Amino acid sequence: MMVLVLALTLGITLGLLTNIMVPAAVLTYLGVSVLAAIDACLGGVRASLERTFDDKVFVSGFITNTLMAAFIVFVGDRIGVRELYLAAVVAFGIRLFDNLSTVRRLLFRRWGWE
Amino acid sequence: MCVLDAIRALTCYNAVIGSGKISSLRTQSGRYMNSTYFRPALVVIVGILGFLIAVAFNTTTRLDEARPQRASDLVGVVQDMERQRGELQDRLADLRNQISGLEHAAADDSGIRDTFTNELEQAQALAGLSAIRGPGVEVVLADGSEVAQGGNPNDYLIHDTDVAAVVNALVAAGAEAVDVNEERVVATTPIRCAGTTILVNSVRLGSPYTIRAIGDSAELENALLSDPQASLLFTTYKSQYGLQVSISKLDELEVAPYRGSLRPQYAAPVEGDGG
Repeated sequence: MMVLVLALTLGITLGLLTNIMVPAAVLTYLGVSVLAAIDACLGGVRASLERTFDDKVFVSGFITNTLMAAFIVFVGDRIGVRELYLAAVVAFGIRLFDNLSTVRRLLFRRWGWE
Repeated sequence: MCVLDAIRALTCYNAVIGSGKISSLRTQSGRYMNSTYFRPALVVIVGILGFLIAVAFNTTTRLDEARPQRASDLVGVVQDMERQRGELQDRLADLRNQISGLEHAAADDSGIRDTFTNELEQAQALAGLSAIRGPGVEVVLADGSEVAQGGNPNDYLIHDTDVAAVVNALVAAGAEAVDVNEERVVATTPIRCAGTTILVNSVRLGSPYTIRAIGDSAELENALLSDPQASLLFTTYKSQYGLQVSISKLDELEVAPYRGSLRPQYAAPVEGDGG
């Protein structure tokens, strides 16, 4: 678990230090993609705990989810339904909390709190 | 490859931490491993996730810093400009008074110039430089008071196009002078939309709009009621959206003078023309 926290901290520090920014127009795309990425990573942690983790499934899932999330925002912009990004936010949001609760339960079992 | 090896080493180190019971694994050395093994791919991508979050954070922070500052700056600029314009208008009025004083003084010198002075005054009145009085119509346009359930609020407002249509119809019917809320309509007057207000001679006006026009009052009224665009205001829109509109014919009304500057920047008179 520690190594994940470490990696996350390292990534955030790197991002903050390099101070890279994206154009304001792309911010919604990035935000929804980040949400999809959080969801994918929680899914990965969950799969690891359940011992069903697979590199291919995880990496491809991460890439398609983030790209698809950005694509949905793009389509919404193009067809004049700007709120379409909410569909991605809601879908990934629900999955995220679902994964989180599973991870929590798995960790409890691991630590013998159950 | 070096990086991957390092990550692998890290993840293996991680594997020793923790104290699970159910998912323990027996390692080659025969010790029990009590924690989960995280694949390098997951670790790398969690790192990327952190990076993405940081980038989004950077961008959002910058936008938040930039936005309110710019808005308040612009408000300040607008207020400054409006104050300056007020001062300049006062000066302009002073100077115009001086000019007319000098003209009268010059006219007093000899009776021959009386004719010219009269012509000048008439020209000034028509050009919008002096207040002008005579018979005409007064049109009042005001926003509708209540928006019906499910109605489009835009339908219940008086727009720049409405004011422009009325002014246009009046001029087309031979109005000799027109003003909107005491802003004289001259040759260079724009009527356009600026947020919730309408700009006439770059002065911001709000509802209700009083449009006064000097001319044959019956003809002007007819023109308004027969103009395809302006007439909608007094018929369909009035009954449908509750716009507060009215036309009154008056025997005597006064139209305000133009208070802006009339200094052409590009236009120059053609030599030897007119007289």
